[in-house]
Amino acid sequence: MDRRQFLIASATVAAGGIPNNNLKADSAIEPKEFVGVLVDTTRCIGCRSCEVACSETHNNYVPDIKSDNALEQIRDTSDKQFTVVNRFKTAKGEVFVKKQCLHCWQPACAAACLVNAMLKTKEGPVTWDGDKCMGCRFCMISCPFDIPKFEYSGWNPRIMKCNMCYERLQEGKKPACVESCPTDTLMFGQKRELMEIARHRVYSHPDKYVHHIYGENEAGGAGWLYLSAVPFDQIGFRTDLGTTPYPEYTREFLISIPLIEFGVPAFLLALNMLTDRKDDVREDDEWTKPGADK
Amino acid sequence: MTTAAIPTNEFVRFAKFFLQELKPRGKWLTPFNVISIPVIFVGLIILYFRFTQGLGSVTNLSQQYPFGFWIGFDVMTGVALAGGAYVICFVVYVLRLEKYHSILKVTILNGLLAYIFYSGALLLDLGRPWHIINPIIGNSFGYNSVLFLVAWHFLLYTGALFLEFSPTIAEWAHWERLRKFLTSLTLGTVIVGITLSMLHQSGIGAMFLMAKPKIHPLWYSEYIPLLYFVSSIFGGLAMVIFEGTISSKVFSNLIGAKTHHSHEDIILGLAKGAAIAMFVYYFFLAFIFMHGEKWNLINTSWGYWYLVEVIGFVLIPCFMFAYGVRNRRFGVIKFAAIMTVLGVILNRQNVCLIAYNWYVVDKYYPSWQEITVTLMVVFVEIWVFRWIVTRMSVFSKE
Amino acid sequence: MEYYSYVNIFETKGLAYLLLLSFLVLGVLLIRYLSGPERKDSARGKKTSATGG
Repeated sequence: MDRRQFLIASATVAAGGIPNNNLKADSAIEPKEFVGVLVDTTRCIGCRSCEVACSETHNNYVPDIKSDNALEQIRDTSDKQFTVVNRFKTAKGEVFVKKQCLHCWQPACAAACLVNAMLKTKEGPVTWDGDKCMGCRFCMISCPFDIPKFEYSGWNPRIMKCNMCYERLQEGKKPACVESCPTDTLMFGQKRELMEIARHRVYSHPDKYVHHIYGENEAGGAGWLYLSAVPFDQIGFRTDLGTTPYPEYTREFLISIPLIEFGVPAFLLALNMLTDRKDDVREDDEWTKPGADK
Repeated sequence: MTTAAIPTNEFVRFAKFFLQELKPRGKWLTPFNVISIPVIFVGLIILYFRFTQGLGSVTNLSQQYPFGFWIGFDVMTGVALAGGAYVICFVVYVLRLEKYHSILKVTILNGLLAYIFYSGALLLDLGRPWHIINPIIGNSFGYNSVLFLVAWHFLLYTGALFLEFSPTIAEWAHWERLRKFLTSLTLGTVIVGITLSMLHQSGIGAMFLMAKPKIHPLWYSEYIPLLYFVSSIFGGLAMVIFEGTISSKVFSNLIGAKTHHSHEDIILGLAKGAAIAMFVYYFFLAFIFMHGEKWNLINTSWGYWYLVEVIGFVLIPCFMFAYGVRNRRFGVIKFAAIMTVLGVILNRQNVCLIAYNWYVVDKYYPSWQEITVTLMVVFVEIWVFRWIVTRMSVFSKE
Repeated sequence: MEYYSYVNIFETKGLAYLLLLSFLVLGVLLIRYLSGPERKDSARGKKTSATGG
């Protein structure tokens, strides 16, 4: 191959490469994004079918929704139930709110877990792996929503929290709670679509909803989104969590680690060498000899 | 002798020697023994229940308080108070201040035992302790976790402390060549150890960075890792003063005259270091307080509790150390050391237990079983310490 | 951010500098206090050896 042929070949290859780069830029928006659930609390009637369906799917405690008076008090999820429905008495009447893991975009629990037992899957749900979990409960400390619950009464304890029915999603089904909801309170889909539906509902009925979608930006954004007729702090949501993803709070510390691990040993070694007195000139030796200052 | 016979002979000799060393010396019915043996016995029974019936059967841990006394005291506080090891190593090996050489071995030993026993205590608190090999053997490394860093640094630092103490063990077992080799590793081990300490002492604090909405704003700041590191310096120094005071009385027969004599100078030096570290710490606190504009939080009951910790257990002991150093008042220094240790304990308990989930109604209090098991860990540690110092040359005989 | 009003993030900078100054001043005083009474003895010692020897 002579020089001219080489130049033509290179130019052809380069020209061929450019549109490839553009294609890469286009496909930066992954076709598969995180999934989530939209919870429209104005539609919830408090039937608690979701609690039953969830517990039946996961072999947890199935509440007797006909005769237990669980709605009389505000409950939290527990080591026996991944999800609960609470009833709040507000100025606009009774509001029922389903509580469970929000499957954050940047989960604090997954950042906290030192064995990746808590994992943000690429589909979206945050799952727990019992084969890895040591039971250190650091995820519980880190979660701003206080969702993970621990089985303190067992010799082989599990961390219990909603996993968005990950196994069902793998089979192409929807989460059990969404399937069981009779009033379309729960809607499953990609967060992008759910956000548009939520915004549409708020814009179309500005008097019916508070102009805020909880979960859009809280703690850096979550997979579960909530719409409400009343301010969210009246229905059991914390509104002081900020919009910074929680793993960001540890980022500065984790980044400084290599700096310290490189810098400090070097600094200490330098100090050690600087304080070495073996080769120091001794006063009574060198300087008093005749001719020492020449 | 064949080359194969030498190791076998050596093994047999050492085995006999070790069995001989296991025999108890000294009286059986000392006050310490009388108190510690029943506590250890009860503690073991409690542990049986803990492992068969779960953590909830012996602790007051709850969904709102996942970390309790075992983590809050044994791990968070015990490790801070063992900070004397890396500080004294820094002073002796890096700054070459030979004045402190005589307390080096006992401080390293105390640090080594603290890390072994408090990491052991951690195993008692884990829900599935058998999975602790997971972050170690690499089947699943959670690099993004602060706890991953802390766990690994605990492990490596315990190894470093062991290496630093190993020449003493080699000397006791009469393995001279091994002792020489291990001594040659000392400077490198010390440098690695100090680096590891800086990271895991601050790492313990960094574990609470994500708990921002749950810790009372007077105790939460993004600077918790830095504060924990600095408090481990003066907490460690105060602990060295405190333990040294006890050891020099209890084991005075093992300590030579020259070392006894230089003891006072050492205490003054340590107290000076502690005073300076606490002064710096206090200014860090002042800056963080001002930067966070926390003025209006002071006039609450939490605010008063904060002042008790920061003024009563940091500023006042700092002044006491300074006064004691200037006027050579050793009683004042010892009292200041105790208050400083209590202050570090208090600060750690505040961040992880008391000011944590401070708005919750059902507060956490340690159960008697948790306290007993913690005491058991401390007592067993003291037993091992006593066994080692009465047989190995930890204290200087000069 | 939920609110669209001005927040001065450097509000406390002036106080921070004042705090730094006081830290340096008080720090020097503390070091002098901790090294205190010895100076007189060593000074006396030097004087006697210089005048005596």
